[in-house]
Amino acid sequence: MEILDRYLQAVKKQLPLKRQDDIIAELRANLEAQLEDKESALGRPLTTGESEDWLRELGAPVQVAAKYQPQQYLIGPMLFPTFWYVLKLVWLWATVIYVIVNVVKIAGAPSGTALLDAVLQWPLALATSTAWVTLIFAAIEFAVRQYPEKWRQMGVPLPVGGDWQPSSLPLLEKDAEGGKKPKSRSAAIAEVIFGFVLLVWLLLVPYHPYLLLGPGALYLQGSPFQLAPVMVTVYWVLVALTGLKFVWIALQLGRGRWQQTQPPVHKWIEAMGLIPMGMLLATPQHLFVTLKNPALDQARYGSALEAINKSIYLCALLVVAIAAMELVWWLGKMGMGAWRRRVAA
Amino acid sequence: MTVTDNLFDNLRLELRRGCLTLAVLAQLREEHYGYTLRKALAERGMVIDESTLYPLLRRLETQGLLASQWREEDKRNKRFYRLNADGEQMLGQLLAEWNQTNAAIQNILDNQL
Repeated sequence: MEILDRYLQAVKKQLPLKRQDDIIAELRANLEAQLEDKESALGRPLTTGESEDWLRELGAPVQVAAKYQPQQYLIGPMLFPTFWYVLKLVWLWATVIYVIVNVVKIAGAPSGTALLDAVLQWPLALATSTAWVTLIFAAIEFAVRQYPEKWRQMGVPLPVGGDWQPSSLPLLEKDAEGGKKPKSRSAAIAEVIFGFVLLVWLLLVPYHPYLLLGPGALYLQGSPFQLAPVMVTVYWVLVALTGLKFVWIALQLGRGRWQQTQPPVHKWIEAMGLIPMGMLLATPQHLFVTLKNPALDQARYGSALEAINKSIYLCALLVVAIAAMELVWWLGKMGMGAWRRRVAA
Repeated sequence: MTVTDNLFDNLRLELRRGCLTLAVLAQLREEHYGYTLRKALAERGMVIDESTLYPLLRRLETQGLLASQWREEDKRNKRFYRLNADGEQMLGQLLAEWNQTNAAIQNILDNQL
């Protein structure tokens, strides 16, 4: 029967290459036996209409073929909440960066067309970032599904049933620190991913300044200014602190303790961020930027240099003041909490 | 189709899913190929679509519960399936579970009358 052959051919095309001949041979034997039964019951061959009705009952080729394959998905139910959380963060940051870049670009050469272009290309920027995030998570899903044992041997906690720990259950909201909503696992995983990306980005900036300054890196290269040695020291202290924080949050996640607020190591690491800022404030004569060639450029760029160093000093002072106030506020809250617990006991 | 009909279909599908496996395993204590198995099940009141039954046979074989063999019958090559030793053991365990569930539901219904 020609239409049955066509049907089986269509099913075959949807099956995995390795098993298609075997499956089709079996399906053909079953369907031909069924057809013989139908025709012997009727005492005549099926009409074209009857054959089509019968095949329609069997189901569309693509649906029949799909039932021979395991359920397939790009990102499984275990990774999906993390994927969704990260994707929303990426959309937010992609939009922020896109807006900043385009504001700078349009401010340089204002025009209605440039503004329209920026608005129209915004969905494209979001689609590109979505594609990258999806690709990365699909790769993680594939690696976890294909080699679960290797990941376990490496001590990586997998988001699957066997590795589930009761200690990873969310805290009761009323018991969470300061009544705040406790951190979810997705948020903790995203924090580790972003911590890693931030660390890599920091390490790459000295070799690829455009990662920090964008097209402005070219201007810096050709400018008469250069960073003073203290900035290099501060940079390495920042790298060390970022690395320390990344190791800490990764360890907390690995041990299933990302919701525990005690001991508040991350807060102390943040407080250590005051060290590089203090180093900046203590720099003699507040020289953060110097001239590459002072003998030649002092007369021309001397006042600009002074203004730049003064601005950096004021910024550092402001940041230190805010961070110190936040630290004092947090220490005060800790002290009050400890005092209340002692009174209650 | 109303929302209630749709819901009933979904719940019925969920309820039948496990029962179909049990019925197929039980019927395959005798050797069958796909089409005769489907007929045998239908004669006993368990109607199963071809597109559900044939892939199910493959899955059960992959799971190590069935043995299969290509053989010629009526001048046509057919794949015959039969429960193997592991399948027999699994069927016993599933039947015990089935009986326990059945008794529990009956017990719940009796207590409500």
